[in-house]
This record gives sequence, structure tokens and C-alpha cells, in this order.
Amino acid sequence: MSIDVQPPDPQQLATWLRASGNRDGAAFRSLYDATSPKLFGFALRILHKHELAEEVLQESFVAIWNNAAGYQSHLSAPMTWMTTIVRNKAFDHLRRSDVTVEIDADQFDRDVMDALHDPQATPIEALQMSGDAKALAWCMSALEGVHRQVVALAFFHDLSHSEVAEHMKLPVGTVKTWIRRSLEKLRTCLAKREQA
Amino acid sequence: MNIRHNVALRHKLAAEYVLGTLKGGARRRFEGWMHQDADLRNITAQWHQRLAPMAEFAPGVKPPKRVWSGIERRLNLTRPASGWRFRLSDSLAFWRNLGVASTGLAALLLVVVLTRTLEAPSISYVAALTDDKTQTAVLVTADSRRRAIDVSLVAPAQPAADKSLQLWAVPKTGAPRSLGVLGDKRGRFPLPDNAISADVVLLAVSLEPKGGSRDPNGPTGPILYKGNWVRL
Repeated sequence: MSIDVQPPDPQQLATWLRASGNRDGAAFRSLYDATSPKLFGFALRILHKHELAEEVLQESFVAIWNNAAGYQSHLSAPMTWMTTIVRNKAFDHLRRSDVTVEIDADQFDRDVMDALHDPQATPIEALQMSGDAKALAWCMSALEGVHRQVVALAFFHDLSHSEVAEHMKLPVGTVKTWIRRSLEKLRTCLAKREQA
Repeated sequence: MNIRHNVALRHKLAAEYVLGTLKGGARRRFEGWMHQDADLRNITAQWHQRLAPMAEFAPGVKPPKRVWSGIERRLNLTRPASGWRFRLSDSLAFWRNLGVASTGLAALLLVVVLTRTLEAPSISYVAALTDDKTQTAVLVTADSRRRAIDVSLVAPAQPAADKSLQLWAVPKTGAPRSLGVLGDKRGRFPLPDNAISADVVLLAVSLEPKGGSRDPNGPTGPILYKGNWVRL
């Protein structure tokens, strides 16, 4: 297995993003090549259907090109900015199309745990994640499994407190409390890792 | 509700806004607050930064080639060269047109040469604009005495019905200046002084929405052709 699959360097991505803002088609192509597998994987995880995920990825990159000039690097990392666009487009599609997607909390849990594995065990997956994602995976692994699932359901499936509650067969109050506490814990954990 | 002085609440709402569990009226209210509260926007941006990397947990999947082709098509990023290739393989009509175009070009050059000899130096600036394959696509000449710019499209690349080609004078520093929107294969525009000032070294043609760029400070679409603006 080759080792040249590196996580895209945020500095490089920001440079390409700024150049795309200046209508540089070649830089935009490089940005696409470096980030489209991750963003497509993400769209697939939300939408499950290949055709829909392709459409959303296409729309997202059109939006990335059109809005690149407004990207502010001091407010968000390039991947954060782009994944937010993909996530919004994916949810828009779901709302418009009335498609119901299969909700699989266990799959997400496997992803997090895989993300945490010893780099020796899954070299490519470990290398493909940015430092931000590794830190978040580490902090999420410190949450209780069922709390982690509640947070992930909301994030990947655009669910409300009551929808999460219904899906997990839990009282709404419990879900609200778990989500609030989990988010606080993540913030504290990420801040500690940043200082370390 | 006043959330300005409640730090814990501000964080809780921003986090749930980013996570997505803040819905309906509460979500719209939060967006309203963000609008007038830079600190709240900052807190929200930090929460995006914390939670968005969850997207990367899903394993990467290489998208099929047609996704990029679709993006290229929608954004008009395809090079004019592909138009050439298409036409070359396409039809006999191309060769006939090429013959006509070449004859026309030869005639134009003859006129230019004759005009120069008869009333020199009426053509005072010239530019041959080329595409990314260095094929000459547009000829531009400026007559500083008659204060006119003449533009001839040599390449057969015609923009789509909802697009226009726009000609720009590009100075060494500062924003490009529009010289005009090409309506047809030929065009004549008035020659403004700032198009032949010493700092203008380059002319360019960009692909714009019908009628030209909506941005007064320059092109919004890709640059298709460019070339040096040479004083004769």
C-alpha cells in the first residue's frame, strides 16, 4: 500500500481556495482533487444513495467556486468551510426530495472507533484524517458510547432533540441533557488537547 | 430573551445551532442575534471548527469522473480548445468556414497594411490575443487618431446564448478597465485615454453573463484570451 496518501495540508488548501476566489481554474481543480474523496465520502454517509451524493458534491463545488472569494481563513479551516457547505446542500436535498435515508448509528460508531485505531492497523484511514479530526475522534471516544451516538445522529441526519429521542427510544429530556453535557465535554477536551 | 450576558447560554445555543438540534423559530431567532453580534458569530465559528471534522470520520470515496465534468460544464470552466477539437472532428462546414475566415483575415491584414502605408501611423496599438494553447483568437487594433478600437474574433468559439465576451485593458496595478462587450465577431469601441496609458500592458477577453460583467471592478468569469498590448 502506498504511503503517499497524505491528509491535505490546510495551508495548501487555503491557498487554492483563495486562488479559486480569483478565478484560477487550475487551483480549483487541485482543490477538487485533494478534497473531493473526503467530501464525497461524507455526502455518501449522509445520503447513502450514490446518485444523490454525486449531485450534492457537484452543487457543493459550484457553491465553493462561487463563494471562494468570501472565504475567511481566520474564521474557519478550509475543510471546515467546505464540509459545512456539503452538509447544508445535503440536508437541503433531503428536505426537498422527501427521500428517507436509513439511519445507522452503529456505523458511525464504527467510523469513530476506526478513526481512533492504532495507525499501524489502518494506515490509510489514519493518514487521511486532518489533525482536527484526529483530536475530535479522540475526544469523542472519551464519551459514553450511547452519548456519542446521540451527538452523531443529530450531526449526520439533521435530527431534532425529539427525533433523536424517538429513534433511540429515550425520553426527550434525557437526550437534551446528554447532548448538552457531551458538547461541554468535547469543548473542554479539545481545549486541553490544544494546550498540550 | 437577552442572551448577551449569559456566556453559558451563548455557548449552548451556538453549539446546538452548529450540531443542528436548534430548529424552527429558535434557530431563526439565533440567526437574527448572530447578525448583530460579532462575538456570537465568533463563538459559532469556533463550534463549527470543533464539530465539522466529524465529516472526516466517514471513509473517503473517490467520486466518478462525471462529477468533475458536470462542475466544469456548470461553471463554464471548459477551455475553448475543446471547442476547436469538437469542430475539427465534427464537420466539413468547419473547413469551409476556416477557408472563408482565412480569406477574411488575409483581407483584413491587407487593409491594415494598406491603411498603415496610406495614412500612417493611424494604427497605434495592436494586440493578438491567444488562448491557453497559444492559438490566436482575437485581433485588437487601436487608432489613436480616430480614437477607436477595432476587435475581430478569429477563433470560431462563440459564447452560449446567455453569455457575452468582454474586452479588458489590464493595468500593471489596479482593476482592469472594460473596453466593451463584443456583440458579434467584429466590434468597434471608442478608445478611452486610460486604455493606452503607459501602465496598460495587457488586453484580455473574459466570459461574462449576457451584457457583460456586473462587477464594475473587473471580470467575474474566466479569462479566455490574453495578449500584450503593443505600441507601434
